[in-house]
Amino acid sequence: MKGMFLSKESVVPFIEHLASQQKVFAPNKKVHGSITFEEVNDANDVVLNYARALLSVKKYFLPQRETLLKYKLDDNSFEKQEIEQVNAIFLGVHNYDLQAVLKLDYNFKNNNPEKNYLKRREGAVFVGISYEPDNFHFSQSVGIDPHNTNGFDLFLHKTEEGFVLEVLTKSGEKLLDGFGEISEFQGEYPRNENFNASLYAPQSKLKEVFANSYDNPIWKEMAEKCVGCGTCNLTCPTCFCFNVEDNVGITLKDGSRDRHLDGCMLRGFTEVAGGEIFRDELAGRMRHRIYRKFKYISDITGEPWCVGCGRCTIFCPAGISIVDIVNRLVSDYDKQQVLNEGQMTSVLD
Amino acid sequence: MIKTKNGELKELYYPTISEITKIEKFTDKEKWFEIRLPNGDDLQHQPGQFVEVSLFGIGEAPISVTSSPTKKGAFELCVRETGMLTEVMHRMESGDKIGIRGPFGQGYDIDAMKGKDILIIGGGIGIVPLRSLINYVIDNRQDFGKLIICYGAKTPDELLYPEELKRWEKDDNIEFHLTVDQGDENWSGNVGVITTLIPGLKLDLKNTIAAVTGPPIMYKFVLLSLQSKGLPDENVYMSLERRMKCGVGKCGHCQINHSYVCQDGPVYHYPTLKTMEEAI
Repeated sequence: MKGMFLSKESVVPFIEHLASQQKVFAPNKKVHGSITFEEVNDANDVVLNYARALLSVKKYFLPQRETLLKYKLDDNSFEKQEIEQVNAIFLGVHNYDLQAVLKLDYNFKNNNPEKNYLKRREGAVFVGISYEPDNFHFSQSVGIDPHNTNGFDLFLHKTEEGFVLEVLTKSGEKLLDGFGEISEFQGEYPRNENFNASLYAPQSKLKEVFANSYDNPIWKEMAEKCVGCGTCNLTCPTCFCFNVEDNVGITLKDGSRDRHLDGCMLRGFTEVAGGEIFRDELAGRMRHRIYRKFKYISDITGEPWCVGCGRCTIFCPAGISIVDIVNRLVSDYDKQQVLNEGQMTSVLD
Repeated sequence: MIKTKNGELKELYYPTISEITKIEKFTDKEKWFEIRLPNGDDLQHQPGQFVEVSLFGIGEAPISVTSSPTKKGAFELCVRETGMLTEVMHRMESGDKIGIRGPFGQGYDIDAMKGKDILIIGGGIGIVPLRSLINYVIDNRQDFGKLIICYGAKTPDELLYPEELKRWEKDDNIEFHLTVDQGDENWSGNVGVITTLIPGLKLDLKNTIAAVTGPPIMYKFVLLSLQSKGLPDENVYMSLERRMKCGVGKCGHCQINHSYVCQDGPVYHYPTLKTMEEAI
């Protein structure tokens, strides 16, 4: 392939070059003691070799909290809320997180396009980076190999000596204007494709598996372990459900209507006035979450709605693994197929 | 990168500030509100659709429209006092401002109903969205066959639309059946749950469309009664209650399997609903 080469020594100047043009958000460990995307003030704080960020870049386009409108209580008037475009370069994004953004795009672009999300999303430029999968990444199982550059403007493929810089769009090319510390690169770069975790079946088969897993006993078994905290929703880069609430100011004269991200694992998620809760059982809520990732939206788009980042598994305080759940469904389905085809009969017959 | 087509997108979350023009108290828990949009604009809804009622400082809640689109200049809601927003609504007065978003969702399939006998089965507050269909049929009487209304409430005190019930009762073009689960000393009508009305109905099975709305528990029994009567499932429409927070298919709260109730419902064709787990 043809590309550019960026040596290790040129990484900091490269980041500084980007930051001289636009605001840059990149992985950083100093702010929260854990990898989080933060605005770059010092290029030396950027961490490009990391497993995953605590939260994906979703937080910039669909913030945990945002004000939809501000109102005055005395005359029932309201002020429209200006939505600020996020004109920024997102540096060091792993491709599963960008794929997740593209999935959010689908949700907010189709059937009633939503201005709040789309306007914020419009000015974003993405510089991706390859990564070494740990024991929890399983992105290749959902169709995202570690060098997948789909959606990026620039992409950094890691090599021993530095990075092979792939230019993918005009906006990406423009970012390099005036930056001299890159050389021509001709040849192949090493592709790291060793994943330790994987799903037993591709989406084409999962469609069949999920069509037959609604009553699988695993939902009840997992519900025994699950504490219903919603951490899986909170950390998921493709979760987008939100609630809206009114907050009145301390003078009781005005207030704001705010939305905040919500989670389908939380008990009150489906509660209506009068107290009825339509998914009161944890087992039903867990099934709903997993089905949302592999069936409900996937049946329409043909793609899994999970990007294999492994966050829901790592951060689950009860030790529930999405890979284990899906693989159990696959193997239960396979067993049932063998029995149905009559290749084997139950030993109890 | 995403480009928004033609510049500005439609605002999804801003309410239209409207005015309450009339209020009537039906029962201890239910009040009827007439609401006028700015300039007396029509809501342009379909029978069975809902709006998001917005009260600043309180929030928003999905409420069925109870008036027919044939009513011009204002629309109506009938609201049970059951949560924070509805409690505040019950303290409001004529002339007060109220925010409205919508109408949202799918109403009744009027085209599929034209030329057919219409069987309305409403339990309790389920009569509220059905009334928009009833009045639509009454106002377009020539487009429909028979209009059969079955309405049940727990007690005579809980019956809604008292004046209209009398008119439906007297109207020779309406077959009206009323029942209460428990009567009182003044009650001389039917006593029994709503399903007790169904066996006695004379239905032209192929030519009858049923619109059923009521509490979740009612659906199972009503559907069984209609099935044993021989009414094909294809002829049944139902309306569901869910937490429709945004009304525009974004917030995720009302989702049942593949379906957002605020987009595909609240009125569903029963054959569709049958394929959805946890719907009823």
